[in-house]
Amino acid sequence: MSDPQILVENILNALTAGILIGCIYGLMCVGLGLIFGVMRVVNFAQGDFLMLGMYAAYYLFTGWGLLNFLGPYAGPLLAAMLAGPIVFAGGVLLHRFIISRVSGLRTTASLDEGHFGQLIVTLGVSLILQNGGLIVFGSSPRSVRTPLSSSAWVIETPFYDSLIFLNKARLLSSVVAIAVAIILYVMLERTRLGRSLRAAADNPTAATYAGVDVDRAHRIAFGLGSGITAVAGGLIATYISYSPFAGLDFVIIMYAGVVLGGMGSILGAFWGGLTVGFVQQFSGLILPPQLQNAAIFVVFLLILVLRPQGFFGRSAERA
Amino acid sequence: MTKDSTKTDTIIRAGSVPAMPRRAALALGLGAGAAAVGARPARAQGQTVKVALLAPMSGPWARQGQMMRLGADMAIDEINQSGGVRALGGAQMELVVFDAGDSTEKAKNAAQRMVAQHPDLVGGTGAWLSSFTLAVTEVTERAEIPWMTLSYSDAITNRGFRYVFQMSPTADDQASKALPTILNLAKAATGKQPTTIGLIAGNDASAVSFMRPIRETELAKHHLRAVVDETYTPPLSDATSIVQRVRNGRPEFLLCITSNVPDTKLLMDKFAEYRLGGDRLPKVGNGGALGAPELGEVVGANIIQGLMGIVANWGGKGQEELAQRFTARTGEPWLNQDSLMTYADMMILREATERAGVADRRKVADQIRAFDLTDGVALLSPGGRLKFDEKGRRVGAELVIIQWQSGRAVSVFPPSVATHTAIWPST
Repeated sequence: MSDPQILVENILNALTAGILIGCIYGLMCVGLGLIFGVMRVVNFAQGDFLMLGMYAAYYLFTGWGLLNFLGPYAGPLLAAMLAGPIVFAGGVLLHRFIISRVSGLRTTASLDEGHFGQLIVTLGVSLILQNGGLIVFGSSPRSVRTPLSSSAWVIETPFYDSLIFLNKARLLSSVVAIAVAIILYVMLERTRLGRSLRAAADNPTAATYAGVDVDRAHRIAFGLGSGITAVAGGLIATYISYSPFAGLDFVIIMYAGVVLGGMGSILGAFWGGLTVGFVQQFSGLILPPQLQNAAIFVVFLLILVLRPQGFFGRSAERA
Repeated sequence: MTKDSTKTDTIIRAGSVPAMPRRAALALGLGAGAAAVGARPARAQGQTVKVALLAPMSGPWARQGQMMRLGADMAIDEINQSGGVRALGGAQMELVVFDAGDSTEKAKNAAQRMVAQHPDLVGGTGAWLSSFTLAVTEVTERAEIPWMTLSYSDAITNRGFRYVFQMSPTADDQASKALPTILNLAKAATGKQPTTIGLIAGNDASAVSFMRPIRETELAKHHLRAVVDETYTPPLSDATSIVQRVRNGRPEFLLCITSNVPDTKLLMDKFAEYRLGGDRLPKVGNGGALGAPELGEVVGANIIQGLMGIVANWGGKGQEELAQRFTARTGEPWLNQDSLMTYADMMILREATERAGVADRRKVADQIRAFDLTDGVALLSPGGRLKFDEKGRRVGAELVIIQWQSGRAVSVFPPSVATHTAIWPST
């Protein structure tokens, strides 16, 4: 390969990989952003919801083979989408019995608004999910078995005969991720449920006076946030292998994305995730692979210095 | 489900039975006692020989810890069923298991807990990952506990410690032995010696230790030019940029030193996607994780076909009967490095205790240092000799090369262990 061909091919593949991975990261961040945006809860267990989504997809497709009849292409993607409702139900129950005790209206009067309790509780939930996962799922790495992960649609470009490799699993996953994010956005903007969630987010006390059941709104937001991250987990499961501790590897990316996008902004969370994907891939062009994640945080700090509220931050509005 | 995977800090003793009514237990006990009096030498009253396994039972390396535990459990059961430690009147061996977790701090804490809770330990083994073993042996050395390890890093036995015994060929040793072997395989298949190589490695202690001599001396010695040389921090988030660089450089073969299944899967999938599968680019890794059965499951037989791994031991030729017992007992498809070496460690600790004639850790260590065996427990390791040098390294430790063929990891080198012939793409 000639030098120009190498350069062009590297840039094009970094660009496409950045978009594809970024979309999936974006969906992952949307889940966390929704929980923080509506409830102001910093959820340390979010990575573990991602892990639960991975395992839900695994059991639906590979483990129990319930969706095998759909084939190796549609089956894994539907399994990823079905992981959402399953983890949504778990998230709703978790909020009902545990998270609601350290969040919502009952903590608005407390000095720390329940944040200390939330940190400890979500950290505890995270540890329980990881170690419970180890007992239930075992320590062997799993993956949703599909040929999508190791095959690509190859595009021949006119630029120095360079090739673009579009990984099938990532391309299809990113399409699903964008679709889910759009559906969520429309739901939040256009439906009665969305309005109640936004009202509960903007001013819980005023929302209560306006007849919004804030506890219910928080419960649904927590369930939705968990479920959406689980869908992202199911999508990621089509191209990686994982153990019950897999969520830890993605938590930092999630938080980076949410803070970049602006704490509290759903749209911003998606852009934040997309940015993280871009930075991760583009830094690989000039930096050694071991500095890829460091590059994410350099950009993260730069953006925080230049625009502390993130891309779509709402701190000024809320103040 | 892995029922036992999180039962850490526990004691395993073969022959333990579920609770039963006192009268039935008494009758059974009397009967068993009467039978034992006639059959075995009198067992020292209540004496046990306590040994430890400290390995990751949680976190990303939990599976490797589980594999080690399977080997240790099998050895302890077999020792106790065959009469325990005869020199101590048939004393039973007890295994205490500690979780090294997912960080060096946790591993070191577990070692400190182990030493404090079990002052009567006569020896132990662990902690799989070289970084963990480096931390754990700081503690076991102070406590003068003879500590066996399968970890590869040279640093483990470069510190002047007296109670650490390294069973594997060290990473330096592997590096110097591996390249000529691989080059011979390539030459036999293609008719010419490769001149270019790609290097991809994690920055964990074992990989760093393995790659250092390769980069510094071995490449030049074998007239190889590294057209790709990348180091990453495990776990990998994505392998696109690494594999793109391999595609740019087009090496004739690749040393791909990963330490866990998820990183290997990401890389193998990406190689296949970039048309650099096993049929076009031969790849060689090292470490027990490369022979883990689940690697074949998560990557797929066609994608992983041809991947080679350098390991310290394997249930190949000469271990058929042991491997058969292991697979029948555990349901695992084959006997891999981690289970076999931990099994061997337990057998060595028993042999040393037999020779010491007392459950004293210092005397057991003396016996291990004095070993020069070519039979019995020595036959559980490639090279067939059990002797340690002044650093605590096994003399004559040979490396084993395994290769994935038709969905199974099989041994292909050395001939004394190999059950299959190595495959190398001819183009």
